[in-house]
Amino acid sequence: MKKITLAFLLLGAFMAKAQEVQKDTIIQSLKESIDEHSMKFSGLDERLSTMDSDLAKLTKIKVSGYIQAQYDVYDTWGAAGHGISVASTTPPTLVTNSFFLRRARIKFAYEAAEGVKFVLQPDFSFDKVSLKDAYVVLNDRWTKTFSLFLGQFDRPNYELEYSSGSIETLERTRAAGILYPGEKELGAKLEANFETKYHLPLKLQLAVVNGNFNLGAIGNQLRDIDNNKDVIVRAVYSLKLPSSGLGIDFGGHGYLGSTQILSQTTPVTVFSDVNSVNFTPGVGDKLDKKWYGAEVQVYYDFLGGAALKGEYISGTISGTTNAVQNNSNFNFNRVRDFRSFYATFIKNIGVKNQFIARYDVWDPNRKISGNQVANAGDLKYSTWSISWQYFFDDNIKINFGYILPTNEKSSIAGVGTDFVNRDKKDNTFTIRLQAKF
Amino acid sequence: MKTTKIKIAVILLVVMTIGFSFTAIEKVTVKGSDTMVILSQKWAEVYMQKHPEATIQVTGGGSGVGLAALINGSTDIANSSRPIKSSELDKLKQRYNTLGVEIPCAKDGISIYINKANGVSELTLKQIGQIFSGQIKNWKEVGGVDASIKLYGRESSSGTFVYFKDNVVKTDYSPSCQTLPGTAAIVNAVKKDKFGIGYGGAAYAEGVKDCKVKKDDKSPAYAPTAETIKNKTYPISRYLYMYLKSRPTGQTKAFIDWILSPEGQNIIATVGYFPVK
Repeated sequence: MKKITLAFLLLGAFMAKAQEVQKDTIIQSLKESIDEHSMKFSGLDERLSTMDSDLAKLTKIKVSGYIQAQYDVYDTWGAAGHGISVASTTPPTLVTNSFFLRRARIKFAYEAAEGVKFVLQPDFSFDKVSLKDAYVVLNDRWTKTFSLFLGQFDRPNYELEYSSGSIETLERTRAAGILYPGEKELGAKLEANFETKYHLPLKLQLAVVNGNFNLGAIGNQLRDIDNNKDVIVRAVYSLKLPSSGLGIDFGGHGYLGSTQILSQTTPVTVFSDVNSVNFTPGVGDKLDKKWYGAEVQVYYDFLGGAALKGEYISGTISGTTNAVQNNSNFNFNRVRDFRSFYATFIKNIGVKNQFIARYDVWDPNRKISGNQVANAGDLKYSTWSISWQYFFDDNIKINFGYILPTNEKSSIAGVGTDFVNRDKKDNTFTIRLQAKF
Repeated sequence: MKTTKIKIAVILLVVMTIGFSFTAIEKVTVKGSDTMVILSQKWAEVYMQKHPEATIQVTGGGSGVGLAALINGSTDIANSSRPIKSSELDKLKQRYNTLGVEIPCAKDGISIYINKANGVSELTLKQIGQIFSGQIKNWKEVGGVDASIKLYGRESSSGTFVYFKDNVVKTDYSPSCQTLPGTAAIVNAVKKDKFGIGYGGAAYAEGVKDCKVKKDDKSPAYAPTAETIKNKTYPISRYLYMYLKSRPTGQTKAFIDWILSPEGQNIIATVGYFPVK
């Protein structure tokens, strides 16, 4: 019996020892496992930090863009009517309708550091890629008021700064295309916005630019073609009356520039002055290119929002047919006192629809009218643009629009067969689909 | 004939304008500030109990997300713990031709959360700014123990992030500031980290210490309490806002009117914020 008891005690002690050893082994094993996992977590943490840092850099890059694809139907009444034709055939084949890719743009913005931003916006078309925006912005970190733009940017003007992707009508006004060809300019622009720091809703802009963007051959637009810089100034004040649901932005801008005569031809090229009197400028002479404008945008919260926007610009424009510096929209050897204005009415209808009507006038020679006008370049244009926009979602909108340009009528043959006593047939109906991201 | 067509078109336009404008919205969607989620959900819950015909759907995501949703039309009301930015207002103007409608609906203090074991219990506004910008890196620089400060903050889409940056940090946040998805996550992180510091709505400070804040060296220190936030002695106080595209109608208007009524305002205190009226 004693032997049996001793054997059990020995067995018990052995088992207890074995369990203890097993327990130690488990604890050791768990410790090793925890250490191993801790190391793995540290490794993952390190990798995550690196990825986090890389991701933080990537989030500083903002990519946006839009494509505008459309179907146009052109007014064809009258053989000499509209300007859309296949020029290489004789007689030119009139095109009555067409699919058209109006815009394909991508904009890259990179905020390198606080207050420093780079913007690059190429424009893609069938045969080329051109640069629309390419500038650096330096924002002042201290007062949060001043921004300095250097490079190629929008000229300071309400209509031009309003992106083509956001504009409600199918096209900008005729005046915008003539006064500011290509919308952009090369130079430096200083902006002061007193809203952030001083709660004063005033914005001032001053730009000094080459003044030859989109004029003449592309090669000549890379740098200034004369030593003169054009100056553009603009001021806008925003008045808010929240209790009435009313907001009024108003302001003015001025363009102070010149067209320098870079060369003369043999025989000499004769120019026409603001009174349509001929003169012969010499090489180095500067012709006036100066105008002033007033703008107003009224926003009213009435049954879902409505806006009335208008601008009046008056001044002197000059042009030359010299291929180095000609403006394709004002391709004449002349100086003219012009006047232009527009009024746009926009009404939001529910959340998804918008009705737009705009009336714009471009009078390239305000000193003469009607039968006094002897050439097409002096004809006044009044244009109605009517559109209905449907916002399918945040990215896609459809614009159904009709543009009705009406030119001044003159009985003088010099205005050309399209315009003698008649309105050139150049109305266009468009269905545009825009995808924006 | 031409005049008749124009008349018909104008009449059609007027009818469509009025018709679309008064289209009844059955469900009101509210999106935005995480700081305001609890408050907004409480408002919706009580309102729907009293008005069974109404459906109010509340989601968070951050003030920036809410305002972006307002601009793209996917929400009726955007909750925001910061005022709308001029760039956001410009987008509203472009898309809806209105200036939007701003409704201050509650007051809040931004608490500075510190772990309960941390010896530091008060900081100046300047010190807090320097801590979150990374200029002060060790607790001993502000009277604490010799230990590195661990920063916890929100994502850039958060209104609290923007408000705190603009009014306290006044420069970029330190790159070492760990961003977390929501105020509750910040409170949780500080609760577990002895040397952590975070910021967020006063209503969330459970299990952590509210650091007292001094306007400057000479000012007294104040904790974010109902009284100090109401009388503006607590230096980091702000309004909480609701934003709309245009003046509200129908169910949206009824809901907002109720929020601004004594009944709606009384609910604010139950979730740790303060009424505007």
